[in-house]
Amino acid sequence: MFEPFGRLWKQAPFRSTYDAVIVGGGLHGLATAYYLAKNHGVRRVAVLEKNHIGYGSAGRNTAIVRANQRTQENIPLYDEGLKMWPQLMDELDFNLMFFNCGNLNLAHSEAAMGALRLQVASAQYLGVRSELLDRKQCKELIPHLNISEDITYPVFGGMYHPPGGTVRHDALVWALAKGASALGVHIHQQTEVTGIAVHRGRVTAVETSRGTIHTLRVLNAAGPWSVLVSAMVDIRLPIHVLPIQAMVTEPLKPFLHHVISSGAYHCYANQSLKGEVVTGAHMDPWISYGTHVTAHYIKHQAEALTELLPCLRGVKFMRIWGGLADMTPDMAPIIDGNDPIEGYYMDCGWGYFGFKSAAVTGKYVAEYMATGRCPKILQPFRLKRYEENRLLGETASPPQYGPWN
Amino acid sequence: MSFTITCPICGKRDLYEFRFGGEERGARPDYENLTPQNWCDYVHLRTNRPGPQREWWFHRDGCGRWFTVWRDPMTNRETASSEATR
Repeated sequence: MFEPFGRLWKQAPFRSTYDAVIVGGGLHGLATAYYLAKNHGVRRVAVLEKNHIGYGSAGRNTAIVRANQRTQENIPLYDEGLKMWPQLMDELDFNLMFFNCGNLNLAHSEAAMGALRLQVASAQYLGVRSELLDRKQCKELIPHLNISEDITYPVFGGMYHPPGGTVRHDALVWALAKGASALGVHIHQQTEVTGIAVHRGRVTAVETSRGTIHTLRVLNAAGPWSVLVSAMVDIRLPIHVLPIQAMVTEPLKPFLHHVISSGAYHCYANQSLKGEVVTGAHMDPWISYGTHVTAHYIKHQAEALTELLPCLRGVKFMRIWGGLADMTPDMAPIIDGNDPIEGYYMDCGWGYFGFKSAAVTGKYVAEYMATGRCPKILQPFRLKRYEENRLLGETASPPQYGPWN
Repeated sequence: MSFTITCPICGKRDLYEFRFGGEERGARPDYENLTPQNWCDYVHLRTNRPGPQREWWFHRDGCGRWFTVWRDPMTNRETASSEATR
């Protein structure tokens, strides 16, 4: 019944030529490699990872999935991504622990309620389940929620999004690596990209710490490091690399059955299947490549959590960790290719949203790389939008949710 | 671990007292030669240098001064003392 654990993915020989090279062994890179091999028959694909796969944001996010974005360009992508989880579990034959618990976003003022009303209207128009709740309905959903008037930001109401939930993030890394490797994709860990060779406006090779790889297609899926990969081909990006922290409490009996979040408190929380309360959201508002953690933030999170969920008073935090987020001014990603360098593709600038979108984006970026034509669903995310002043308006109120706050 | 920034007026203070104003990106392009490209370059595009860079800070919870410091985003440490700007 129980077999000894085998390796999920194979050690592959380092070849000097590949049909496509993916920079970054995170979820977007692995998903793209998997779909290149599976849907498009491009099997000579290398995924290059400086550290080990899942080392960066793939293993540091708080594993929440949802599709209650704000704009008509973003919602369809996240909606399709959300519907893929049950199907992916079958397809990859791996338990991704998709827990469809629903997300509750709290509003603490009439104005915030107005912003949520717009978000709910957009969701419903595009066929995504999302509804407005008043304060009492929020309390019915989360009996431990504090809806009294004597806290810093009393709860006014909320937006409930039933299709959302959580997915085990490491399982997704392992499952995609396993699936891609089985289809012939080479995953090279401890392999750092040091340069990208361009000849007459097209990509010809990738220089790595283990030698040169000749290829005509490169995808920059390096997450926060994508700005540095991009600098290798002299493309500057509208990205700020900001550090973000998250933490978990000691395990508790099940009491919180939904993902709960609050913009005013800069806090979100959900109870993992192990019973730990996973909480995060605060982002240090300065550029950093260090994954530090700070006492300031532990205090902030403890204050926010115990005001919203007073039953957590006295509960201890067990672990805290930091990661990096590649934030764009409009909180939407940059997905582009063949412009201005033929064969150079990018899938970056995901900020907070890289986890929930990884599988679906990988599917479409693979199509983009295989055919050279941008799928319709990805067209709004091209880099030129900043020059054309067509930002996507994913932030409800830029002064409050911009990169500096 | 705590991070600090040196304000030209208040001296070395906890970094959380300050507001980050972004990397130094030169002068605002003048209206004479303004194109969508160089405007986008100035407003949106960033270098995110992985080493010491000159950047702007504002002492929000202190004296209210804007100034520049040299700081390394790899280590989150100041690399040289801050300088006052006019």
